[in-house]
Amino acid sequence: MALQTEAIAKSGSLSWPGLGPTARALSSRPRAVLAPLAVLIIVLALWQGLAASGAISPLILPSPTAIAGAFAIDGGNLFYHAAYTTMEALSGFVLGNLLGLALAVAFLYSDLSRRTVYPLAMAAQAVPIVAIAPALILWFGNGMAPKVFVTVFLVFFPMLVNALRGLRSADAEVMELLYTLSASPRQELVMVRLPASVPFLFNALKISACACFVAAIVAEWIAADRGLGHLIVLYGSQYRMPQVWAAVLIGTVVSMAVYGLVVLAEARLAPWLTRQRPISD
Amino acid sequence: MGSSSRSGGLTIRDVGMVYRRRDQVTTALTGCTLDIPEGGWASLIGASGCGKSTLLRILADIVKPTSGVALVGGVSPAEARSARTFALVSQQSTMLPWRKILANVELGLEVAGVDKAARRRSAEEAIELVGLKGFEQAFPSELSGGMRQRAAIARALTLKPRFLLMDEPFGALDEITREKLNFELLRILKETSATLLLVTHSISEAIILSDTVAVMSPRPGRISHRVEIGFGHDRTNAMRDDPAFGAYEAELRHALHGPASSARPASHPIPAFAIH
Repeated sequence: MALQTEAIAKSGSLSWPGLGPTARALSSRPRAVLAPLAVLIIVLALWQGLAASGAISPLILPSPTAIAGAFAIDGGNLFYHAAYTTMEALSGFVLGNLLGLALAVAFLYSDLSRRTVYPLAMAAQAVPIVAIAPALILWFGNGMAPKVFVTVFLVFFPMLVNALRGLRSADAEVMELLYTLSASPRQELVMVRLPASVPFLFNALKISACACFVAAIVAEWIAADRGLGHLIVLYGSQYRMPQVWAAVLIGTVVSMAVYGLVVLAEARLAPWLTRQRPISD
Repeated sequence: MGSSSRSGGLTIRDVGMVYRRRDQVTTALTGCTLDIPEGGWASLIGASGCGKSTLLRILADIVKPTSGVALVGGVSPAEARSARTFALVSQQSTMLPWRKILANVELGLEVAGVDKAARRRSAEEAIELVGLKGFEQAFPSELSGGMRQRAAIARALTLKPRFLLMDEPFGALDEITREKLNFELLRILKETSATLLLVTHSISEAIILSDTVAVMSPRPGRISHRVEIGFGHDRTNAMRDDPAFGAYEAELRHALHGPASSARPASHPIPAFAIH
């Protein structure tokens, strides 16, 4: 399911400039899905064979069937904690990206804020945020807040950098056109700068779609009583490795689904980037 | 054409433009004077770098002259810009790639705060006028250069500008499309009775679209000749076959390149081995 989303996403973004998108996408889609699927099946088969041969201890690498079994035993539990982590990750994703975009717009219009806050934002990015997680737990408690905070922290910067470039990416001629039309700064922002930055914004969203799950899970390792990170630590301490791997698998699938949604949203919201069939005079 | 400096047309009086960079001084324009009466059509023609675009951009309030006066409808370019009495059409047919043609044509009115229904109506009219009907829902990237340029002209027309400032609007197009659009622009000009100032490097385009052709010379940029085109405003394709057309062409060519002592420019002699 997630694989399929990913594959559609890939073929969607590959058929970019003027390649007769519909025809090409249709002909390449089955192959784009089948080829990685075949590789996955081969890898799983080899993995299963290796585990069954006893060459590798199941503690080090449980077999695919054992991981599937973990779902059968602890599926409800796994999904409950996955939902919790997803809530943290997506809250951080939304808040972090909004923060990054808002800062970029502020920097665009206020040189003072750019000169004073941007260096601090860059310095903040250099802080090993996971290392100060214990402090965050002292400040925000043991619930969702510190995890969302860590996620926001890791998400806002790619958005800030990309949005800053995107907001300045409008052609000089377009800006001149708006000037001769006597457009207000607000019209300039809404009609030109924001739409021009859409490809840049989606770059940032794609980066943070997966990063937000990593951030939330790592934050849960430090101290949490719920979430996939908590589950991984808990199962790990009990040497229930198939469950650990099952948790990893769910995390992977969910973050791939979020990535796929971002790619689909891009195709939907930025059709001018994909529609390039020239109509002649 | 004896109009005063407070005319309702376009006025350029003794305009100069000097760029200073460190201790290097470049004179881009000097002593440029031109009067285009309201409803008149004029062209600025000259080689690249003679400052013809700069002159147009002064009238469009994009750059300020370092000396002299520019007036658009009797007021300063800045006032004319905020009153939206002129529209600028540039060579790049500047389109917002994320807007469909209809929305691109509506842009000027949208910025001016015209309500949705009214601007839709004007845009559809203008699109019809430039012959783009049926392409309202296409993205600019789906259209050819000529069609995009039509859309840019349509966008300019929606504002019902008293002054149309065009900077090599057909410069990026092939000769055939260019000539076709020249005559379409003629038709549109007659329908709108706008004042036109056109920057071009095509002699025939200047003749087709002007009452007055001002020839500019480079280093420093100045208006060196003026040729009045006596065709009136009722022009058709047939004007190209008029002997007078050829005479204007020759006159402008001489003004641009000097008298035709040789067929090729002296600065680019053809190498001996090429002549066989």
